[in-house]
Amino acid sequence: MAFRDVNARRHIGLQQLSALASTGRTFLGPMKSHKFIVDEITKQSTLICSAVRLLESLDLTSAVGQLLNETIQAQNKEFKTGMSTLLFLVGAWSSAVVECLQQNIPVPAIVSVMSEGLNSCCERVQCLQIPIHDVKKELCSSRVRPKAFGSKTDQAGCDALTNPWDLLCLQRDISAAEEVIPINSCSHQGDYCNFNKLLVSPLAGFGSVASVVKAAGDKSSSALSGSGVSASSCVTRKLTHSRHFSTLRKGHFGGQQGNFQGHLSGPPADVCGCCGLGHLAVALSHGNQTSVKLLQSIAAYQQERAECSGNSQVNIAEIVTCCVLGLPESCSCVSPGFVTLVSPEQASVIKHFADKALRVLLMDGDLTEGYRHLGFNRPPNVRTVLEHPSPQGGRAGDAWLSRMLDILMSFEVNLVLVKGNVCKNFMERCVASRILVIGCVARDVLCAFGAATGAQAVTYPSQLNASSIGNGAWAELWKSSDGRAVDLGELLPARISAGGIPLLTAVLTTALPSKAQLLEDQFWTLLYRLHHALKDGKVFPGGGAVELLCLSHIQALAEQPGRPGNDRVVRELPSPWLAEYKPIVLQALASGWRQYLSVLLWNTARASSELEAGASVDHHLQKAAACGSPSAYILEEFRRGGVLRSGSEPFPEQVADLKVCDNVTAKTEAWRRALDLVLLVLQTDAEIITGPRRNQILNSPVSSEFMFL
Amino acid sequence: MSRLEAKKPPLFISEPLTRDAVSQSLSLLSGILKSSYGPAGRLKQLHNGVGGCVCTTSQSSALLGHLCLSQPVLHVLTASVRNHVSRFSDCGLFTAILCCGFIENFRSLNVAPFTVIKISKHLLSLCMDHLKSEACGCQVSVDFSSVETLVCLVRSILTSKPACMLNKTEVDHLTSLVLKAFIFTVPCHVETNAVLGKCVVIPVKGGRVVDSTVLPGLLIEAPEIQLGKPLAVKRTGSNMIKIALFSVSMSGDGSNPEEGTIVVRHGVSLEVSELNQLLNVGKQLVKDEVGLVVCQKVMHPSLKQYLKEQGVVAVDRAGLSLMDPLGRVTGSQPIASIHSLPPGCYGSLKDLCVESFASKHFLHLIPGDTVICSLILCNRSETAWDELKRVCETAEHVLQHKVRKIVPASTLRDLGCSQTQYRLVAEGFCRSLESVARSLSHDGEEVLTDVVYGHCWFVPPRSPCVSRWSDLVSKCGCGVSGSTEDLSWSFLQGQSGSPVLQACPQEPSVKVADLRVLDCFAAKCSGLQVALETANLILDLSYIIEDQN
Repeated sequence: MAFRDVNARRHIGLQQLSALASTGRTFLGPMKSHKFIVDEITKQSTLICSAVRLLESLDLTSAVGQLLNETIQAQNKEFKTGMSTLLFLVGAWSSAVVECLQQNIPVPAIVSVMSEGLNSCCERVQCLQIPIHDVKKELCSSRVRPKAFGSKTDQAGCDALTNPWDLLCLQRDISAAEEVIPINSCSHQGDYCNFNKLLVSPLAGFGSVASVVKAAGDKSSSALSGSGVSASSCVTRKLTHSRHFSTLRKGHFGGQQGNFQGHLSGPPADVCGCCGLGHLAVALSHGNQTSVKLLQSIAAYQQERAECSGNSQVNIAEIVTCCVLGLPESCSCVSPGFVTLVSPEQASVIKHFADKALRVLLMDGDLTEGYRHLGFNRPPNVRTVLEHPSPQGGRAGDAWLSRMLDILMSFEVNLVLVKGNVCKNFMERCVASRILVIGCVARDVLCAFGAATGAQAVTYPSQLNASSIGNGAWAELWKSSDGRAVDLGELLPARISAGGIPLLTAVLTTALPSKAQLLEDQFWTLLYRLHHALKDGKVFPGGGAVELLCLSHIQALAEQPGRPGNDRVVRELPSPWLAEYKPIVLQALASGWRQYLSVLLWNTARASSELEAGASVDHHLQKAAACGSPSAYILEEFRRGGVLRSGSEPFPEQVADLKVCDNVTAKTEAWRRALDLVLLVLQTDAEIITGPRRNQILNSPVSSEFMFL
Repeated sequence: MSRLEAKKPPLFISEPLTRDAVSQSLSLLSGILKSSYGPAGRLKQLHNGVGGCVCTTSQSSALLGHLCLSQPVLHVLTASVRNHVSRFSDCGLFTAILCCGFIENFRSLNVAPFTVIKISKHLLSLCMDHLKSEACGCQVSVDFSSVETLVCLVRSILTSKPACMLNKTEVDHLTSLVLKAFIFTVPCHVETNAVLGKCVVIPVKGGRVVDSTVLPGLLIEAPEIQLGKPLAVKRTGSNMIKIALFSVSMSGDGSNPEEGTIVVRHGVSLEVSELNQLLNVGKQLVKDEVGLVVCQKVMHPSLKQYLKEQGVVAVDRAGLSLMDPLGRVTGSQPIASIHSLPPGCYGSLKDLCVESFASKHFLHLIPGDTVICSLILCNRSETAWDELKRVCETAEHVLQHKVRKIVPASTLRDLGCSQTQYRLVAEGFCRSLESVARSLSHDGEEVLTDVVYGHCWFVPPRSPCVSRWSDLVSKCGCGVSGSTEDLSWSFLQGQSGSPVLQACPQEPSVKVADLRVLDCFAAKCSGLQVALETANLILDLSYIIEDQN
């Protein structure tokens, strides 16, 4: 067992944290720069655009790396948003804490002041919360609506490339995408602290990769930067030479919103939000228009159902996604029922069904001969003896296939939805008998079909009885909104539905396979934001408003005598002693949000340098302080179109339209998780490696840092 | 053909304590433990270095449980401490640090181990007599009619481990939950042999601590249960729900781990016959009006389907840890065979409902009268949750430990020693106790002691120079004494033989609410004894015999 003191002189753990977190800076804010992750061994690369995917792609064998990943995953699991904020603040706060340590501030003082400071800020920002119905009022309040997606933008789109600001965005996006992060680096095997090296070392093939990026950037840069992530349309507009994106542009800006509505057989997606969720979705989308439209459709559908049930929440369990490659993004839409990809053979079965009502079987395991339910252990000591071998007996597998098929035929089953895998031979036999079998169906989908058709899921076909079969499903081939051919290759989208089924599928279309994952992530992020906004019943004004108030609150706290939190605390430390360190530690806490705001300004190209961004933050802070009531000032600025505006805003009116909101709980939880992680690592003074790796550690270059028990 | 290999002779190591490797390991271990001690203790990250989960902790049970030690001497030490912890849950680090201190101090004395042992035992008995005497001011009796002392005790335990990452509100919330859970485990109708119940911790990782809650009865995770649908359960004539509890696997695999081979003829399916047997059991259960079937292991889907069709609620994979509380809650006997249902094996429940916490669905078993409760424990991160669970279990255990007497922490200098022939050993003894008290401070905090009461006072690091200590310290570490008068403080740094305590501290007029830290009396006393006995055992070692085969 080895033991390492991580607290000697410099705090290795905190340094590791800030090094890891610095890789995610460009994911902050609405304009995220994409990254390529290149595997050094396989040379495969992945395009990513979020903190979660970034951490998933890195080898995090160190203890601190694992804790960071655990924290990000926990946030992702619950909220699907706020991970970039979390990652950024982890980085900013860990370097701020390292600076405190260098100034000889004792650990208990840092822990106490920072955690009380954060608690106090979380209480303070409560006054900024906007109740959901007020958001609707405020955002619906007349001015402007059509401009966001309408003709004005289109107009602006024409002079896109003549606008210097757009060119700036373009350049920044390309250069940011050049950041290549190698993983699987051979050099770091058994190496415990070379994080910086690992993260910044250029890999051998850097040049070629970079040129790939450049090429993509030159021709169709929105493949990297636009992609519906950008806050405003300015980035998307840049594409003029791409075949796909010229269609996209038409779809987005050509006033073809009718496409969506026309395609939906359900209620129209009312942009002015009679259901009220439309504008909320826009405000929470942070500029992601494709997802907004999908969400508005979903909200409209669910709203119609909710009128019966009285439930106004977005039900996530009733939504699935299906990625269709080969169509432009403008074809993305919401279809009622379950859309999935099927093989041409299955498609022919569907064509044959025509409008027939189908009898459904739901299976919650695999549909293979060898499958047994979880927890069933095959007895190892059973031997089967065949006494009279018959020459024509055939293979055992065939017997199973025939038996299963007989069962399905005898119950006149037309459609089988299987949670797990389906035996290929069985699939073929079913196609021949005109039975549609679909594998890898999510649990929620099975549940929805169970509720709508009365089917009861079974594990083995032998369990079938009359009551487990459902009735009244139908299947058809899915058609894109413009009726465009969807015969795009191996797999075809098909739509399976049943009367009264609440299930909705967001069909995400893209011409770029590498973007499929991104689109899906973005869609879910927005859906969860809306879900949590409704759950919280309130939202924060976005665009840095909350962070600005935190900064001004900390300034007030630092000047105020006494503790940041007014009530008793976990560990009592003498106040006069604490008072000496309070201002410095509070500044450390504030520096997290200050950097957050500067990077936000810089990432959205509203500042040309970090210095300028910092100055701008200070400027707004002074204005807030001068106003007397910072929260009132911030709310007023938000009403007037955004908190961190500057006089020289490129499109003042347009920015005013893009009023953004953030989730309340997701944001404060992200802060808390980030600070908890930093303080947890700060209070750790040793890393103990258990297990028999003594020799490996002894041979590693850092062996001198270890002691052995 | 078998081959015999000559056995290697065992390795004899004489006077193990004089070896450098042993003393280095001992001081390293002692350093690790000391740096983890107390509410400001530093955390340790334990992991296997190849991607296993990371345990961030400052708890003795987790630390000692994960360490793999190469020195047999250290094994003796950790084994006794772990044994103490398994009994009392509390004061593990205190015991371990004190034991290391005794070994280090006594070994350097140049007094024969036999004499050291004799004298130190005598000193221990003096200590114990004093601690247990009415005159000892270290005790705070627990007034069970008011919760204040209990709140203070639980709070001491919850705040002693920083890796739980709790803020003030969260500590308050958990304190009340732990107390509530404790009260649930106390039987309402006390008979001659009252037995305390049990609190089962249900993990909800990733949630907020304030979302934690406590419920009477038991929760079983049931992912297949759908929310929103009313649970239709069959009830017996007396409006109770009959429950059958299976400890045997009902997966239908006929798990027979015995040796040997079963030969079956082609065409005969063991699976089918096994399933038929399970369905027969199902029929019997339906006939017996059972409304709920709980299986510790896996149930065959066909059996579940059959039971569901018959209106019987079936839950599987309850897990071993729930079996004992399930039996106690329902009064049912776990059924260990699918071939016979023993008479009187069924239990009963008052009600059954579905609960959901953070996207997990649970079946809530509500008994008529119970001493079993479930603590649904949430914390944001996995590593903090693990630490919090250990801490809550410790708190629950300590409360249950028939808390009669509690000793304020860090009042350790309570020795009376005047016999010169014991002077050396006694000094070593005192130094060991003092070193435990000193290890409560980290970051260069100064530890003072006063001559009047013998309490510890902590001065934060890098404090400004003052003429009077009372300007800096307002209250002693445990909160019993306040600095209303000049108590002649001095640094606690190993000048033993200092004056005997004049008198025991003031009458227990201290308001309980003012107390800061309390420890469990029984655990502390046991810790003191275990530490000394283990140290003496180790000091007495003259050989280690290592089997090299």
